[in-house]
Amino acid sequence: MPPDNGQYLVAAYVVAGTIYLSYVISLIVRARRVRRKT
Amino acid sequence: MTPDLGPAHAIIRRGLVLTILGIIGVGVVMVLAVQFTPVEARQGLAQKIFYIHVPSATVTLWIAVPLTGLASGLYLWLHDLRFDRFAAVSAEVAAVFCLAVLTTGPIWAKPIWGTWWTWDGRLTLTLFLFFLLLGYHTLRAALRDPVERGRFSAVISIMGVVLVPFIHLSVYLWRGLHPQPIIMKPSAPSLPPEMLRTLLVGIAVFILMYIGMVTLRYGIQLARDVQEAADAA
Repeated sequence: MPPDNGQYLVAAYVVAGTIYLSYVISLIVRARRVRRKT
Repeated sequence: MTPDLGPAHAIIRRGLVLTILGIIGVGVVMVLAVQFTPVEARQGLAQKIFYIHVPSATVTLWIAVPLTGLASGLYLWLHDLRFDRFAAVSAEVAAVFCLAVLTTGPIWAKPIWGTWWTWDGRLTLTLFLFFLLLGYHTLRAALRDPVERGRFSAVISIMGVVLVPFIHLSVYLWRGLHPQPIIMKPSAPSLPPEMLRTLLVGIAVFILMYIGMVTLRYGIQLARDVQEAADAA
């Protein structure tokens, strides 16, 4: 019987998703700012 | 004079499409890992962290940092600012991937090793690489002269590349808790086919996301540089 540790999987996926999504959002914001300036 | 930002905007558009495809791909990999990949008998569901941790580490160590170093070396050799711009952009994306490695790793380690962190050779050197990437950006932010900034930061990024083989070999050089490589080793990968398939899809998707992020960030930086040059003229 595998150990019951699904909460760590959820935590890791949420943390990784947050890191990558935050960076993508920051890039989109910067891209929009650059476009608006020009 | 109005600068021609058409090429920069085209790069931004291309980067945005690739990045969004990459993000969607990461969602697909998560679903693939949770729903369509077997649960490892001894580690349970926590083992599935592997499908985002390993691709993030693969991109950091085998793509982002080496490409940053290569671009830095080319900048030192050819003095072409495009290489410096690429190196800076790739180093920024490398730091993001490295942060994902350093956060998902301990979350996986806690249920399996019983501790969030250990000063194992691989973990310590990866943390050192992350600090090196932060130092790289701090240095760049502190220097105004583009030539000086490019030259000094190139040296730091090449030091990062030197760390990569040590990080890879650390599991052989020093006995620690971190497992040995299962793909990047002389013999065939030691994974069941379903797990290997999900891992390879994960690596492909994370490479796509890296390409998308670097393209998008490069376009943004190019637009800024063109605008600054026009303002200065």
